[in-house]
Amino acid sequence: MSIKRRSFIKKAGVYGSGLMAANAASMMFTKRASAAKEITTTFMKSGTYDLAAESIENSFEKETGIDLEIITSPWAVLNQNHIADLTTGTGEFDVMSGEFWIASVFNHMLPLDGYVNNSGYGSTIINRLWEPGPSNFFNGKRIGVPHSADAYSIIYRKDIFEKYNIDPNWTTWKEYLYTANQLKNVLKGQDIAPISFAWGAPDQAAAIFLGAYDGMMVNSKGEYELEKDKAIAALNLMMDTANYGPSNAKALSIDESNAVFLDGKAATLICWPSFVRSSADKNSESNVVGKWELGNWPGPGFPMVSAWNLFISKYSSDPDSAWKWIEYHGDSERSKQFMEDFGIGSPHRTTYEDKALLRKHGHDYPGMLSNLSKAKSLPWIFEAYEVFFRNVGELMSGNQSSSETVDIVHEAWSSIKVPAALIETAESQGLKG
Amino acid sequence: MKNKEWKSYSILISPTVIFVIFLQFYPLAYSFYISFQEWALTSSQIPQGFNYLKNYNDILNDSVFHRAVKNSLIITITSVFFQIVLGVILAYLTIGSTWTIRFIRTILILPMVIAPVAAGTLWRMLFNSRSGLINHLLIKVGIVGPEWLSDQTWAVISVIILDIWQATPFVLLVVVAGISSIPKDFQESASIDGASRFQTFLRIDLPILVPLLLIVFLFRFMDSLLNMDSVYSLTFGGPGYGTYTLTFYIYTLGLRNFNFGDASAASWIFMFFSIIFISLIFYLQKKYEN
Repeated sequence: MSIKRRSFIKKAGVYGSGLMAANAASMMFTKRASAAKEITTTFMKSGTYDLAAESIENSFEKETGIDLEIITSPWAVLNQNHIADLTTGTGEFDVMSGEFWIASVFNHMLPLDGYVNNSGYGSTIINRLWEPGPSNFFNGKRIGVPHSADAYSIIYRKDIFEKYNIDPNWTTWKEYLYTANQLKNVLKGQDIAPISFAWGAPDQAAAIFLGAYDGMMVNSKGEYELEKDKAIAALNLMMDTANYGPSNAKALSIDESNAVFLDGKAATLICWPSFVRSSADKNSESNVVGKWELGNWPGPGFPMVSAWNLFISKYSSDPDSAWKWIEYHGDSERSKQFMEDFGIGSPHRTTYEDKALLRKHGHDYPGMLSNLSKAKSLPWIFEAYEVFFRNVGELMSGNQSSSETVDIVHEAWSSIKVPAALIETAESQGLKG
Repeated sequence: MKNKEWKSYSILISPTVIFVIFLQFYPLAYSFYISFQEWALTSSQIPQGFNYLKNYNDILNDSVFHRAVKNSLIITITSVFFQIVLGVILAYLTIGSTWTIRFIRTILILPMVIAPVAAGTLWRMLFNSRSGLINHLLIKVGIVGPEWLSDQTWAVISVIILDIWQATPFVLLVVVAGISSIPKDFQESASIDGASRFQTFLRIDLPILVPLLLIVFLFRFMDSLLNMDSVYSLTFGGPGYGTYTLTFYIYTLGLRNFNFGDASAASWIFMFFSIIFISLIFYLQKKYEN
């Protein structure tokens, strides 16, 4: 088939014009569509926070007309994504779920005081969680509002304690270890360990240490430092707890440690309650339904808090819509529902005062409120934390003494700069020398 | 090729060549530049100035770096040695083209196609000293299994086992191909002269396979040294610094601490020693062939 040149040019011209018209039209429609509000939010992929956010995505979009994209990632990746996004000024995320781990990039977050004052947000939040530390601040301005709260806790088998007439009301770690020793004696030959804890999860090592340590974490010069004698005592106590664990205690991950308790193979569990409570009350997932209670976190230190905050990135193109999502997600009634459905610790006082919920969760909520009321957040960045938990791992492996551990940690910390936001956090929580 | 033709071809392939050079060498050059800069991303969005050899000095004097190098060498040398020995043995056991042999060879190759993270997660469950399959089977034969993942020595052995399991199929495939290319006449002549199968392997097959094994050794050594995914999912570099490898160290510096200056310096130190090692292998190979 031969094509004449003139005919070809004519046809090419027609087709080309048609393509250009179609392209221009699609660009016009795209521009109209993109005028609709859109925001992106992040949450930790955990089977709790992520699912909770996704459960209200459609209703939020319907009620506000704001298009919401939820991005979830495992903890370490989530923090890496946030730091990379903010330090490069990419601005992919409008609302970020995070906490003190990303303190080095707090200067990239939008102050929220204006939004908070105008909306009255925070009036029902537990006082301790609304203060600097669990709530994130930078240069004296609020940049984060807690949307969930968890504090390291000890849950115990009240049936075992009642059966053997053992007192679960410890107030110090020494008392708790005394209790563990009692349990060890009465549970001999029963394949039930006195304590289950994720000793094998390297980044959880600090939980027991912080409960037993009541010294400074940042010195008066704004540098990372521990009080050596107190730190050594706390580390030694932490080592002792592993003697009361199951046979593979030092290899247990968080999930494995929780499973030991849920299977009925441990009398007490040192844990993040958010990861356990939901399963612990379901017959299909636990052998301890109706048999457990959330106890007191022993001192003289404090329970580590996991108060996930929601921040608005300074690079967000629509901070007003971002705040609407924060308000919607952080609503006190919604938080109550999240706690019921997903086990996520609510930061609102009203959750723990709700009579109907207390009837159902009397074994959990009072203890949780008590622990949250004394919880503190760490003034450590990733780098400082990694040095700490790796050296605790060396200590647990018998490669160095507690004294050497503190010395090595101090030496490594000497080259790490403490972000200004975390010096403020330490000072506000009484952790600064 | 005529000059004119060569000129046309050069013009046609030059965009691709330029693109590949840019893609390959620009990141290398930039990371080399960064390795002499003071730059932590959390402090500044741009490099904060030339700091001479400070980054290199800090890395080379870091006890954690020394530990990471030691762990990497122990894990890599041990696992690669066993991969090659096992790979050669399995290759000889699965020579042939019968249906059964091909089926067995396919099964043996399967570990190679599993993602390293999935492999690490799977073996983490197997190594669980309380509920894992390995200790359960060991108990059946009267052996009390160790704390695979909570003891530093056994954690290293766990990483080595995982690496051997996943990488031996690659050696198997390459050696099978190498054996198939050995002229049958040599083996027949040796057999006629009264050589046993093992003597034939030692005196005929192995010398022919050595250059191939050197290349396999090179690939496996570099691959094992660069492996991070399975260590991350199996032990997370622990307990303590027990299985903390060089790549884990660089990953932590760059992508957890966001210290790009130090991470680049550590990468280039790694690159420097890799270049020396690769050159040595090529030199040995050439010397052997000559």
